[in-house]
Amino acid sequence: MNTKNKVFITATSSVSCASDNCNELFSNICEGNSGIKNNDKYSYESCPAIGKIKSEKSFYENLILQCQNILDNSTLDTFENTLLVIGSSVGGMSITENDYFKNGDYKDINTSTHNINSIADFIKKEFDFYDDITFSTACTSSANAIGYAHEVLQKGIYKNVLVVGVDSLCKTTVGGFLSLGVLSSNPCKPFDVNRDGMNVSEAIACLLIETKSQENSVEICGVGYSSDAYHMTQPHPDGSKTAMQNALKCANIEFDKIDYINAHGTGTIANDESEANSICEVFTNKPYVSSTKSITGHTLGAAGAIEAIISCKVLQNQMVPKNTFLNEKENEELNLSQETIKTDVNYVLSNSFAFGGNNCSLIFKKVMDL
Amino acid sequence: MKINLEILDSSYIYDQVQIQDLNTKELVPKMVTRRRLTRAAKIALYLASEVNFEDGRIVYGNSYAELESTSKILNSINNQEQISPTVFQNSVNNTAVSYLSMVTSNKNEIMTISSGDNTSLNILKAGAIKALDKDTLLLLVTETINIEKIEELNNCIEYLECGVALKVRLTTEDKTIDYMDIKNKENFPLSVMHMLQIAQNIDNNTSNIIEVNL
Repeated sequence: MNTKNKVFITATSSVSCASDNCNELFSNICEGNSGIKNNDKYSYESCPAIGKIKSEKSFYENLILQCQNILDNSTLDTFENTLLVIGSSVGGMSITENDYFKNGDYKDINTSTHNINSIADFIKKEFDFYDDITFSTACTSSANAIGYAHEVLQKGIYKNVLVVGVDSLCKTTVGGFLSLGVLSSNPCKPFDVNRDGMNVSEAIACLLIETKSQENSVEICGVGYSSDAYHMTQPHPDGSKTAMQNALKCANIEFDKIDYINAHGTGTIANDESEANSICEVFTNKPYVSSTKSITGHTLGAAGAIEAIISCKVLQNQMVPKNTFLNEKENEELNLSQETIKTDVNYVLSNSFAFGGNNCSLIFKKVMDL
Repeated sequence: MKINLEILDSSYIYDQVQIQDLNTKELVPKMVTRRRLTRAAKIALYLASEVNFEDGRIVYGNSYAELESTSKILNSINNQEQISPTVFQNSVNNTAVSYLSMVTSNKNEIMTISSGDNTSLNILKAGAIKALDKDTLLLLVTETINIEKIEELNNCIEYLECGVALKVRLTTEDKTIDYMDIKNKENFPLSVMHMLQIAQNIDNNTSNIIEVNL
């Protein structure tokens, strides 16, 4: 098959601890207004800093609202010709936890609300789609969902794709990351020499992806995948380096075209050191680098999608967000922006890395005015 | 749109309780790694070995994820005990293929799909789209729901452990195998059925071709 359509993000919608809309999310990132707060609801032993959505609506009401926002802000009347692609790492785990903790047995658990696929099932109760598929690769879930959307549209398989990156807070993830000793009790400070861990968060991030650009569209021009083949939780720099190089190859551009990198930058010792080294190896042009997780937290399966939205905003506003809470750089070679900078940005690369050494890098391109 | 795939090799395995001989000791000589493997990882390693697949892209899937790890985590939280770090890292949906990539040093693109009862059908769809790039792919599905007190949750699935592997590549030949009309008389998890039906109908004396409708 020789079809190689161009692929564009034409509408976005999100809710996270940092904001309930994409414009305010980006303003808060640029101004350093973090949504991370200490919360003892998800752990019996600790009060970690985490990112909970501030909303009077339930998580699932917000999920439908975000999809409706996309429809309202697009040229589509329905999703009937749309492929729904979900990226999620926990699915309905928060519901399962509530059911299990009632009696400490499985009798009240509903498998249809537990499974990762429950997110797609819930959305399909409100909207009709052409077809749907769910990716679950831990913290790369929605980056991989965007990568799949790029692939199927570039190859001319489907007409358009709605990507939904989604993960809600639950005791399993908060307790799990606590057990790994990587949760901070403060908003995280990625790439800082004194960083002390990450912030687990929740978010819903939706992107409509099409082969025709609209006003303010952003092109997805490169996707790169790799596997570390090394360790379940410890990253290997070669894996992230290969993902970034594969994304550049897919976009058919040289490394020096990249103006800004939205780093995976979790704030853990292992990730940030490894990612910084691989960025320095690939990008000797020293593009601006920042992690926005000090504002949004690490939204796990939703991270790739919400950071794709942030990358779109960087290109639309021509503004590189700062590394909030960064005081002392660990890696002096990395061009970490400590202030939000107004500058020309044509290409943005966004990194997502996950348990199991699953890596995905996405490249976004500014679309010239129509 | 239709894409046809040739099944170059296939393997399947299942048991009502627990699959006994997965050859894990030979496939994973390092004890420190072997001890960490989940049941799904052992099945994935066995199936990949059976179809002689070591390097290349993989599309993997499961519907119920790593249920044993999930149940241990829930139990720990309920008892106000600390969650085991190993159990937590083994709880993600892509655990099995992550171990497979480590053991076989496979650094390629590896996807994990979880689409409920349509999991193996969606593995076929994603695999067919990726096969347009003309490489050979491994399509893999596992379910491992053999956990303590599973009867509280399960009253319809008879085979609690199962897995299917199909090694595939793009072809223009006509289909020889139908798999959409699922005949699940033995009550396998529906999530494996589309791929299991293909594997069970392989004829070793001819080309085996499936048609994937998108």
